[in-house]
Amino acid sequence: MSDHEGQSSTSFALHCFINGEEQTLETTAATRMLNLIRDELELTGTKRSCDIGRCGACMVLMDGIAVNACLTMAYQCAGKSITTIEGIAKNGIDPIQQAFLEEGGFQCGYCTPGMIVSVKALLESNPEPSDDEIAEALSGNICRCTGYGGIWRAVKSAIKMRGSNR
Amino acid sequence: MLLNRVNSGGRWRIRPDGIGKVTGSLTYLTDMTAGSMLYGLVLRSEYPHASVISIQTDKAEKLPGVHAVLTYRDVPGLNAFGIAHPDQPVLCEDRVRYVGDALATVAAESIVIAQQALELIEVEYEVLGVLDDPERALHADAPLLHPKGNAMHRTTFTRGNVDEAFKQCAYIAEEIYYTPRQMHTYMETEGGLFVPEADGRLTVYSPTQHGFMDRMQLARILSVPQDHIRIISSPIGGSFGGKDELNVQPYGALLATKTGRAIKMHNSRQESVRAGLKRHPMRISMKTGVDEAGQLIAHRVSILADTGPYSTLGAEVLNFATEHVIGPYKYEHLDVEGISVFTNNGMSGEFRGFGGNQAIFALEGQMDRLAEQLGLSPWAFRKLNMRQSDDLGPFDQPIAMTEGAELVWSAIENSRLWQEQVRMKDRSAPKHSEPWIKTGIGAALTMHGAGLGVGIPDPAGGRLELAADGKIEAVFGYEEFGQGLLAALEQMLVEQFGFGASDIRMVIGDTDVVPDSGSTTASRATAMMWKSLQRMRKPFTDQLLKQASTILRCHPGELRIWEGGISLITEAQLLLTYEDLAKQTDVPIRSETSFSFPVSDTKRVGAHFMYTYSAVVVKVELNSLTGRVKVVEQQHAVAAGPVINPQGYLGQIEGGSSMALGFTLLEDAVMDKGHYMTRNLDTYLVPTIVDQQGIVEVEPIEHLPASDDYGPRGIGEVGSVTLAPAIAAAVRQASGKWVTKLPIDPAFLQEKPFFLTGE
Repeated sequence: MSDHEGQSSTSFALHCFINGEEQTLETTAATRMLNLIRDELELTGTKRSCDIGRCGACMVLMDGIAVNACLTMAYQCAGKSITTIEGIAKNGIDPIQQAFLEEGGFQCGYCTPGMIVSVKALLESNPEPSDDEIAEALSGNICRCTGYGGIWRAVKSAIKMRGSNR
Repeated sequence: MLLNRVNSGGRWRIRPDGIGKVTGSLTYLTDMTAGSMLYGLVLRSEYPHASVISIQTDKAEKLPGVHAVLTYRDVPGLNAFGIAHPDQPVLCEDRVRYVGDALATVAAESIVIAQQALELIEVEYEVLGVLDDPERALHADAPLLHPKGNAMHRTTFTRGNVDEAFKQCAYIAEEIYYTPRQMHTYMETEGGLFVPEADGRLTVYSPTQHGFMDRMQLARILSVPQDHIRIISSPIGGSFGGKDELNVQPYGALLATKTGRAIKMHNSRQESVRAGLKRHPMRISMKTGVDEAGQLIAHRVSILADTGPYSTLGAEVLNFATEHVIGPYKYEHLDVEGISVFTNNGMSGEFRGFGGNQAIFALEGQMDRLAEQLGLSPWAFRKLNMRQSDDLGPFDQPIAMTEGAELVWSAIENSRLWQEQVRMKDRSAPKHSEPWIKTGIGAALTMHGAGLGVGIPDPAGGRLELAADGKIEAVFGYEEFGQGLLAALEQMLVEQFGFGASDIRMVIGDTDVVPDSGSTTASRATAMMWKSLQRMRKPFTDQLLKQASTILRCHPGELRIWEGGISLITEAQLLLTYEDLAKQTDVPIRSETSFSFPVSDTKRVGAHFMYTYSAVVVKVELNSLTGRVKVVEQQHAVAAGPVINPQGYLGQIEGGSSMALGFTLLEDAVMDKGHYMTRNLDTYLVPTIVDQQGIVEVEPIEHLPASDDYGPRGIGEVGSVTLAPAIAAAVRQASGKWVTKLPIDPAFLQEKPFFLTGE
């Protein structure tokens, strides 16, 4: 429900994979992925908060890379594989999610899906990041509740858990 | 002992609402949709101050897909809201007083159509002068924003004679402190779903901190009996006080009633910034004097708060600030006055800390300045003047006496960081490898009131019940906005009763089923749940055991509550599951309690009875080239009675202090002539993980006097009120400069680099 959505009406058939499933969505080329995910696919784990790519609440994985769904248009998703928070736990809860649970890496939970998506993108590409690398990777995800203490602990714990699972 | 997972052992639990939050499967109220819903939007004022000549809605109404365009003419009941004093129009009739004022609301089949409809509404304004300065708003020739004048609320508190006392002072600190218009920045903006039911009732799914207050206010606006409205208000994606007052609910409710269709509303961030509450910007002038030995003699304070266009809880915030500029210190002579002023700026209102944040920044600044004048350690100076456990409260009112102030003082005195500060002596002590990085350590202390205070109804209570399906139902009228209310409740039921977590069903946030437990504000909910459970424990468990004993044909004294059901006292063996107990008994097993938050025996409105004490020491690194301050270490000591939920307690102090870090270093919703210059999170900066790379340690002090039966004190706000003055003290040590204005302007701390000064 952003201020600028839906102004282009040229229809566009989007073919992509969402959480592993092939999808064809009739939309417009400029429709935001955030709206497609939340409104069309009713995957409401991806959250809406700033609409301008500053808070990270709508983060999803596009071919493994974390992107803001509010800044991504339908045409940019063509042929891509999109993973939302719902897709991350598809085969059981991810060690990252388990770490967030155990360490208290969330409070209100509204930033949490986006945060976990960003952690997933980081650890898949860099399994043992330094503190500065963690900070950089999560600097686009705002959490107003935790002060990031629980998030630091969760990320550290997730690194360990994933390491011992390998 | 520091609060962390290892030290907490088995008490460190996974939150009951955790799985839904980490997997994204939890449905927030702004995630909800309904089959035939319409989208609601609000037209807000173009100007901070104007007369409204006319509002034409014909064109908007004719737009295909538009189902309703409502103005003030369509409000059936009271066209106003406000928790304490309803003076904010739901839909303005003849005047707008800020850029968030609502003029019309539309319902349409899509958001795009609703937006087009807003653009087709023609409002004719006559622009009026903007009162954007509270001081100017008090001038005799200033236009009146409300019939009773621009002074929304005044406070005073005096003791002795400060004028005479200042003549006796050996040292006097005089300063004016300024604090910013901080934004709550809950990640979930305001919104919800408004559903007209087949039986004529209205269900409101929208976040709030007190469902029954919303129900009362909406009933007043819609002119319907309160029981025609059901408020479902949890889960909430953050609030921090910001969703305590009504926001989109009046519009959703009016549109749903008018169209007979479900209405979805979800504010954009820009709209949230424009219409929503902020922390009161305050100017606090203080003059404080001591004798030769360092004893405080006189303290004069003048508070000027910018409350914006309407009241909400502005008066109560000023009352709180008035109490907290006195704080945990003793003065023979005291003269405090406060005034909260209507302006055409944004709405100020309730926000975590509730006026304490501003007051404590100023008060603790005075303590540091006086200590320096006296050549005393700032911590020793505080000890010299600090309240003793049996002293009266700041307003000379009786309070629940604890040794909290002394205990948190001692914890900081003995802390590693404060010991490091003592060794530093002066700012040049530890040589940094980068000479433009200056280090400083500072500390601050506070007592922070909980509950709504004297003169405001402050009900509490709850219900326990064995449900038909065998679940132990705990029913409370509180809200879960992230603070961990459900986790605290579950932990108390497990630890204090002996139930297993899976035996329990917690029911909150639904006015059709919960009792009015009062608001989830003012650091009160956990304390009130604890007290409720204390009161219900014996009657409820007695009933469970009695009915079980009838079924098991034994004496209730042989039985006990156990995980999964009733067991023998002598051995951990389940004899009767709660499900079987529920099936086999025909007597309802139920306990309910209602009481009030404890209040002080005084007539002083707003005075508190229960306090949480906290002290914090911080270490900062100031980059004197950029003027940026980095907080590298924080040690908090918090005296709040027993720790109910270790993970939640730690999270509240860490999270509160992060909010305080933003208040001190980053955050200000800047306004110019009544318009917000900041509209979104690109220009309003809250701390990110990069700002929070430092160490944060929390030491909870659980000790309470043996006679104290009030249990846990609130910890929801106290983490957010003490950090700012501690950072300011550390910056003083690092830079030699006294900070008086928050957030700290880096330009104020920038120094010419040594290679340019030739030193």
